[in-house]
Amino acid sequence: MLRYILKRIFLFIPTLIIITLLGFIISINAPGDPVERMVSSAQSGGEIGTQSVSQVQDKIFWRKKLGLDLPVFYFSLTSLSRPDTLYRIYDRSEREALDRLISRYGNWEQIQQYEQGLVSFYSSLIAFTPDSSQLQQYNKNTIREHMNWLKSESLALRSSYEENIIAAKLGKISGILSQYPFLASFRPAFSRIKNDYESIKANASAWKNYIPRLAFYKTQNQYHRWLFGDGEFSQGLVRLDFGTSYTTKQPVSDVIFSRIGWSMFFAMLSVLLAYLISIPLGVKAAARRGSRFDKYSSLLLFMLYSMPSFWLATLLLMTFANTDVLHWFPASGVKPPMGYPDAAGFFDKVKLSLPYLILPAICYTYSSFAFLSRTMRVSMIDTIGQDYIRTARAKGLPDDKVIWKHAFRNSLLPIITVFANIFPAAIGGSVIIESIFTIPGMGYETFLGIQNNNYPMIIAVFTITGFLTLLGYLVSDVLYALVDPRISYK
Amino acid sequence: MKESEAHTEKDLTGTKNHFSFRKYAWAQFRKNKPAFYSYRILIFLAALALVAPFIATDQPLYCKYKGVHMFPAFSPSNNCEVKDPQTGEVENIQYDIADWKRMDAESIVFAPVPYTPQKTDIDNSGYVAPGDKQFFTTKNGEQAELPTRFRHWLGTNKGGEDVLSGLINGTRVSLSIGILSMGIASVLGLLLGAMAGYFGDKKLQTTRGAFWTFLLGIIFAWYYGFSVRSYAIADGFATSSMAMLGQLLLSVFIFALVALLFFYLGKLAGKIPFLSQRVFIPVDSIVSRSIEILMSMPILILIISIAAIAKEKSIINIMVIIGLTGWTPIARLTRAEFLRVSSLEYIQAAKSMGFKEFRIIFKHALPNAIAPALVAIAFGVASAILIESSLSFLGIGVPPSTVTWGSLLNGGREQFSAWWLVVFPGLAIFITVTIYNLLGEGLRDALDPRLKR
Repeated sequence: MLRYILKRIFLFIPTLIIITLLGFIISINAPGDPVERMVSSAQSGGEIGTQSVSQVQDKIFWRKKLGLDLPVFYFSLTSLSRPDTLYRIYDRSEREALDRLISRYGNWEQIQQYEQGLVSFYSSLIAFTPDSSQLQQYNKNTIREHMNWLKSESLALRSSYEENIIAAKLGKISGILSQYPFLASFRPAFSRIKNDYESIKANASAWKNYIPRLAFYKTQNQYHRWLFGDGEFSQGLVRLDFGTSYTTKQPVSDVIFSRIGWSMFFAMLSVLLAYLISIPLGVKAAARRGSRFDKYSSLLLFMLYSMPSFWLATLLLMTFANTDVLHWFPASGVKPPMGYPDAAGFFDKVKLSLPYLILPAICYTYSSFAFLSRTMRVSMIDTIGQDYIRTARAKGLPDDKVIWKHAFRNSLLPIITVFANIFPAAIGGSVIIESIFTIPGMGYETFLGIQNNNYPMIIAVFTITGFLTLLGYLVSDVLYALVDPRISYK
Repeated sequence: MKESEAHTEKDLTGTKNHFSFRKYAWAQFRKNKPAFYSYRILIFLAALALVAPFIATDQPLYCKYKGVHMFPAFSPSNNCEVKDPQTGEVENIQYDIADWKRMDAESIVFAPVPYTPQKTDIDNSGYVAPGDKQFFTTKNGEQAELPTRFRHWLGTNKGGEDVLSGLINGTRVSLSIGILSMGIASVLGLLLGAMAGYFGDKKLQTTRGAFWTFLLGIIFAWYYGFSVRSYAIADGFATSSMAMLGQLLLSVFIFALVALLFFYLGKLAGKIPFLSQRVFIPVDSIVSRSIEILMSMPILILIISIAAIAKEKSIINIMVIIGLTGWTPIARLTRAEFLRVSSLEYIQAAKSMGFKEFRIIFKHALPNAIAPALVAIAFGVASAILIESSLSFLGIGVPPSTVTWGSLLNGGREQFSAWWLVVFPGLAIFITVTIYNLLGEGLRDALDPRLKR
């Protein structure tokens, strides 16, 4: 038995790897720059279009902390023209601009020279302080205005890639530089930049883009770090570190583990209730096949099965949690808005929470219960058609005994296997039901994550749900093997 | 219709016509009343979806204004210049913003539902119930009761948008979700399932050289089709959907071309001594493992996550995602059917006659193995519609400019007294899903004679 379980676990490993890969692919494709999200909310202000030194340092810090200063994967399919080190450039739009330049001209040496010229030009702009003679000649504000314009333009140049835009910007900057004598010190550096740009165009080797090349990065990459951590900022997925939430700046795992309780509670409760109701219902319908009970229950179950859960939830809320119609239940949350009283024991808490739980529990349960009852009925009908049931009846055994003792146990098998389908469905469906009833669970957190573009949260939920789904499959496999002795453990 | 009915009846009573499975299945299907009625309702819904833009629109079907005949609802252009015969003044009428209901037209024929979804009717904004008094501001600025012809039969929402019109136009979205997503899923599922079932692990053989060359070719094809052109594709996505489609098609074309080139190179490579060793391609293992992996994944959360990060919010995205993740049941059933069919004698006969495998699979085996897949497709459509409506209900991945049943229902969440916003769209979703489920059940009973008890 142990060997069987181990073997099943072993078979789940590829699926687990693919789930983490998918989560990772989704996370790196999420729109926007994570560094910008972290920096902009941590520190807003400063002059528009320019970057202060502290902001740049902040960005570099967050890039390191989020692991974005590493290559993406263990290897990458790239071209002969691309350097291995492009990922080190910390600004996402600058990186893209450089990459686009490479994909047009294919000569990294010249492009790199041009880029470095721009970078040192920008830092010389920042370092510039007007001396007294210049201050006498020009208004202080004029100087500042022009310096700021130059800074923002040269920054914009670093993230532009279209030929005409670069040419226009180069022309505008050199125009300003030649106009004002106090900017004379920048002229030689800038003319070098212009020359570098001309030499990019002159020495274009676009053919290099058409020669593929595999680059290997060993374990120093984002995926590896995401899985196993780097020992400094990230503990890695294996130690349940899912990164930092964009909105609260808390670790995602803290948020999730404070929320997972309600989701698991409702998933378990709904599966339990569904089994408790559906088994007797299915058996009864099958035993009296063709009777009025069978017909009506089948019809009802079929309709329940096709009923969208969000519709049922809204209808229930509209009817039973509406001050105009029936105000039997509260509309949202899981406990009184003021929280539990201090002296409340466990049973008091249950009593206080119960009205909040009934409507969500119905919505969680009904669809899986409809599905289970139908499965149970079909499986029971199959079993009743078997020869040994006929034999049992022929022996003169009472009907109840035939059904419950002979047929029931054998018809349980299919209903156990569908546990693997029901449990993930309960977890997955939680996004809809939890957001309608505002239950503080994982699903509601996903919904909020989507509204706030909080991608680390969404990806963490996806990965955890994937893991729980696999767990559901494992449990149903083991149950199946326990119930059916015909299954070999080898 | 009547003729074919008589035809099948005669077949069943067993007369001169030879026995055909298709006719038998159709007769069985017709006997299943709920499934047959569902089929009829589905045809009605499809027709409704096709003509929705002409049934529910505020642009009149026909209008005669100052002697000029106009067909605004049908016209591809959006404006018409009308010259006043007396004053000679030229008036430019823009179809989509013209105030048709207050126009002095000589004759005008409105659509059955004279409202366009998402267009505000200011006089009836703020949740007007179907039975409430509805208002209309005449040209003179007087408040009058809305004529019966222009009533909002199913009420309006907060912004005064007509619910019935939204429902009718939402039919399009729902049905196209089913067609596109399950179209993708069927192509994938049938193809992969057929290959897995027919070839198994030990039937598709090739030379070592061809195998490795082709594998290498896929990498190259990906490189030249997509990696090199990644910025061209990205820019295409940013400009327009036509540019996007063009760039994607070009990429796919390059991919196919390079892959084909390497395929033939591989044939050549297979002639070299060491590389000419025969190897088996374990198609069945590959497909079965993929199905297992995809089935043990939280698909709904996956779809939600992908829809959440998509830069362009569009219904098409959601359809494609549902299609790409929903092929597993179809593939599983097709594979099982092919396992059964490919050992039958007529397939052996076809093989011994030297037919190409492609022809055997698609011409001989597939028609006999497609029945279970049809059932899976019907159920798949039902669940695709459910997923899409849940997503648009939550407002995930669906642009606010698209009216769907789910987004209409979402409007009712803010105001529980507006029951019509919850009941009617919900009913529409419920009925459509039920129809597809009933169709699936009916097909299963009709196509599988073994189930007849």
